[in-house]
Amino acid sequence: MPVTMPRMGNIHIPFKALFEGLGIDYIMPPPNTQRTMTLGTKHSPEGLCIPFKMTLGNLIEALELGADKLLVPGGYGICRLGYYFKTQAQILQDIGYSFEMIPVGVSERKFLGIMEIVRRLSNNAPWAKIVSSFRFGIAKMNALDNVERKVHRVRPVEAVRGTANRIYARAVAAIDRAPDYRGLKTAVSGSLAELDGVARNEARPMVVGITGEFYVVLEPFSNLDVENELGKLGVEVRRSTFISEWMKFSLFLNPLGINEKKRVQRAAAPYLNRDIGGDGWESVGEKVLHAGKYDGIVHLAPFTCMPEIIAQNIMPHTEEQIPVLTILCDEQLAKPGMLTRLEAFVDLLERKRRVAAGTAKAN
Amino acid sequence: MEIFLGIDVGSVSTKLAAMDCRRELVASAYMPTRGQPIEMVQRGLAEVKSKLPPDAVISGVATTGSARYLAGVIAGADLVKNEITSHAIAALHCVPGVQTVIEIGGQDSKIIIIRDGIVNDFGMNTVCAAGTGSFLDHQALRLNLGIEELSRRALTSTNPVRIAGRCTVFAESDMVHKQQIGHRTEDILLGLCQALVRNYLSNVGIGKEIKPPVVFQGGVAYNQAIVRAFREELGTEITVPQSPAIMGAFGAALLAHEEMSHNHKVSNFNGFGVVETYYHTSSFICKSCPNQCEIAQLAQNSHILARWGGRCDIWENQPDKTGP
Repeated sequence: MPVTMPRMGNIHIPFKALFEGLGIDYIMPPPNTQRTMTLGTKHSPEGLCIPFKMTLGNLIEALELGADKLLVPGGYGICRLGYYFKTQAQILQDIGYSFEMIPVGVSERKFLGIMEIVRRLSNNAPWAKIVSSFRFGIAKMNALDNVERKVHRVRPVEAVRGTANRIYARAVAAIDRAPDYRGLKTAVSGSLAELDGVARNEARPMVVGITGEFYVVLEPFSNLDVENELGKLGVEVRRSTFISEWMKFSLFLNPLGINEKKRVQRAAAPYLNRDIGGDGWESVGEKVLHAGKYDGIVHLAPFTCMPEIIAQNIMPHTEEQIPVLTILCDEQLAKPGMLTRLEAFVDLLERKRRVAAGTAKAN
Repeated sequence: MEIFLGIDVGSVSTKLAAMDCRRELVASAYMPTRGQPIEMVQRGLAEVKSKLPPDAVISGVATTGSARYLAGVIAGADLVKNEITSHAIAALHCVPGVQTVIEIGGQDSKIIIIRDGIVNDFGMNTVCAAGTGSFLDHQALRLNLGIEELSRRALTSTNPVRIAGRCTVFAESDMVHKQQIGHRTEDILLGLCQALVRNYLSNVGIGKEIKPPVVFQGGVAYNQAIVRAFREELGTEITVPQSPAIMGAFGAALLAHEEMSHNHKVSNFNGFGVVETYYHTSSFICKSCPNQCEIAQLAQNSHILARWGGRCDIWENQPDKTGP
């Protein structure tokens, strides 16, 4: 009776730690590949967004491997993603799979809801053990995000291209393997030290903020690894969304009335003063906040995502100016087209910077 | 005589521009790509060489267009630049105060917004090629007209019909319908040109502030009926440079000049000998993971020069790695 869940960035690693700590039988879907996308697209209504299609593909690939309890997000107030589990359940039944779908509330009873689900999956393990496994999972998530933040800074300035990526891949595997806090600490400090020691060039990199919809920002497969491509063009990315941060607020601080999004939403207020679902409100707010601080913004949105389309159309009209490149992510997004736009965008930022520094020539 | 060369290999046509150190165009070449980018780069180089004075020395080469990386390896480019930047640089050179660049090529169309002499924003057609040169070519062929004739005939119309321009498939069936109920060909042609302009402005130009001076580049800019439709739709004068189709290549030449004089480098140009060289291209499916990426490779005398096309970098970074 193995449990599974859709992939998104590295989120499967902390969940593995949680399941292993409690002796819960699990099967994680294989890494996202073209096959995942093809399966998901084939069984999805065409107009749905890439998060739906990719996660459906993940569930199918996990079901093929024998998983039969599907842990999926569900709830109201986010966007139509909150209802995706119902549609996905229907599709999977129609294909002929038998399974139990367990929606994890993302709108209410988040923390307690997850705790209750985990307790049931673990055959009523003692609460103390559940809490300690949960904490270890969170520790892994923090570790992953800390290493990734450092990778974002090293990648654009590494002397030998690909060095940071190699260290990062090793670090992710080591964090995944770490059996206890000591092992985790060794893995993280080792990787961070290694990243600090990477030979760097002299360049002062452009800084680009990555904003947009949660899933396409966090899942590199869905955005054709845009952060890596920007890194190769010598751009340092600053992402405001990290799973560890989101978990911290969503599970623990939001229920206490602390809203980390207040600042972003206040910044958006002159142009958009209400929630429009998804992360649209925050995308507008981040544009306002990043103006003057970063060189540019890459705005990632799933194709057909209404909140981000609204955000995209508000962004050019804010008083705070900063170049924005919107990339619509779906199964049709092709790398050469994306690279042409990224290269042109980086040229634009570089010339802007040169003019600002007064060294640009006549053209 | 110092020459800076720009090579623009697009989906439909290949363009070369040779410029001297005073940034004046000295020679150019224009030919259809016909799915043979390597051969066309070689032919283009041969043609440019024949037009250059005997004392010409190539001091810098830049490539652009969708085959810019391939062309870059063959020519030995000092700089490989995307076509958006190249077109912007060329427009700025020809019309220094330009604020908007409209570029319509064979398969893509772009808008570039320039303020105070630098690119401020740009847009490119994403999901649809409606309104690009290939579609006009196709329609001209269907009506048994030359592409120049299409433009000439359209301009004689005084009563254009309204054509649905959002999608080429529907535009074509709408054109057929209008023709079958007896509308005159020139009215249909001008209607088509207007529909393409409307489509461009509502797709590529959406959300962009189009301010004069407006420069119109790319092969489609030869079509005077489209120029007229833009002028009427935007209510402003449209400047078409002398050779709109080679502006991407000219921009690349300007960038090569900038790059070389800025960094005082010696050109990597492989020499006009590449015209005689035999290049071999092949492809294979990478089996390292289930992504099944198609990897293309370029070889010369069984020596791999470059590889492209994977989702990850394992082949791109290691041309020496033995393929399957």
